[in-house]
Amino acid sequence: MTAAPIVSLRGLAFAHPGDAAGRPVLAGLDLDLPRGGFTAVVGPSGVGKSTLLRVIAGLARPAAGSVVLHATPAADRRAVALVFQDARLLPWRRVAGNVAFGLEGLRLDAAARRARVAAALDLVGLAEQALRFPSQLSGGQRQRVGLARALAVRPDLLLMDEPFSALDAITRHLLQDELTRVWRESGASVLFVTHDLDEAAYLADRVLLLSGSPARVVRDMTVGLARPRARAGLGETVAALRAALAETFSEGAGI
Amino acid sequence: MKRSHWASAAGLAAFLGVWEASVRGGLLPAAFVPAPSQVPAAFLSELRNGEWPAAVLASLTHYTAGVAAGSALGIAVGVAVALSPSFAASQAWVARLLRPIPPLAWIPFALIWFGPSQTAAGFIIGIGVFWLNYFAAEAAVRAIDPGLFELAAAFGQGGAWRRLTAVVLPAASPGILAGVRAGLGQGWMAVVAAELFGIPGIGQRMNEAAGLLATDILVLYMLTIALLYGITDFAFERVSRRLLVWTRA
Repeated sequence: MTAAPIVSLRGLAFAHPGDAAGRPVLAGLDLDLPRGGFTAVVGPSGVGKSTLLRVIAGLARPAAGSVVLHATPAADRRAVALVFQDARLLPWRRVAGNVAFGLEGLRLDAAARRARVAAALDLVGLAEQALRFPSQLSGGQRQRVGLARALAVRPDLLLMDEPFSALDAITRHLLQDELTRVWRESGASVLFVTHDLDEAAYLADRVLLLSGSPARVVRDMTVGLARPRARAGLGETVAALRAALAETFSEGAGI
Repeated sequence: MKRSHWASAAGLAAFLGVWEASVRGGLLPAAFVPAPSQVPAAFLSELRNGEWPAAVLASLTHYTAGVAAGSALGIAVGVAVALSPSFAASQAWVARLLRPIPPLAWIPFALIWFGPSQTAAGFIIGIGVFWLNYFAAEAAVRAIDPGLFELAAAFGQGGAWRRLTAVVLPAASPGILAGVRAGLGQGWMAVVAAELFGIPGIGQRMNEAAGLLATDILVLYMLTIALLYGITDFAFERVSRRLLVWTRA
């Protein structure tokens, strides 16, 4: 990938502040994520995939190293937006209010804010649900609201933490297709954490396999499949990912 | 009208009927227990001589002031305790020391400090209401999903003020409003108790009536308190329902 990076990690290390032993979750991580690219991070449960996202999002302070975001500063957008695994909507706000949440504090007048909310809801196909409360939505719809909330702030970098893992297979496939379309329309760079190798192969241009303790990138694979992709054509890529994962475990890096 | 409403009306009518019959039939001594049918006449008499409106206005004035101040302070301190471990630690033993003292135990001090005044009554009412709101608000804020704070930080709303207004208060609002509602009832109990010690209002008028064995007037003011509580509780419940529409969606 030759595009200029959207984010550069150098010597990144992280240990949970509550861990008295100070065991690092991440250590010596060097990584450049391509601007406009779709990168997936896969790896065993608990390896530190979500931690990596939280550090990049600024929600967790690294113990060492740096996260440099090469974003264009602007008062009407945010450099980074996060989509959570559990949608994490504010139950007292209607759908439109949830989407507007990230816009509050940005330099936008009320009309511009409304337009942004409407555009984001259009993008995820929820314009009709704007006045409903989160409790009135299905799991898939709630995830779409979480995605719309992130897209509304027009981020340079969209961080997604296993956003579809709790959904049924049909809804998951639907949202994967929607995400691919939205990603191409928005032009944002995406870093997508998943434990589903099929999902990684279907969505991403590049798949990073994170493993070990402390975690490091043990494989960096390019997915050369043309878009739009067919799920039936993923077999080879998924097999390669699976083999890499198996190899990693047999080397003991996953332990 | 719903079936349950008919049942409520029938129950109330039966209660009043048995009461009336017991007094008229001599089962209850008429000198000590008035018949319910005597209360309207007592009401007209108290209305004409201006005692009823004056007593109700006085009670409502210090009730409103005491409940408002006690609720606002209780919510503010309860929220602060839940959000700030150092503040919680600094006042933990103060709270343990003061909490068990019933509001009525403060009446002598209230009379010494403020005299038999509206301020004294407001102070006594405010103390009971304060603790209810303090504990309700603290528990409500502590129960907030920590993930919502992370969400706020992720979307640039992590500052103290935005966190408070955009996450803490709305998320804790069901618990906070339950505390306020409990305080509304507690406030009326304290009103009458405070006024029995000479502060003008419904309680003082009841004390005067008791001295004259005017039991019809006593019952009139007891019903007045019940009615005022019923109105405030009903109005607050309607407002709460509107504010918390999302909890029933």
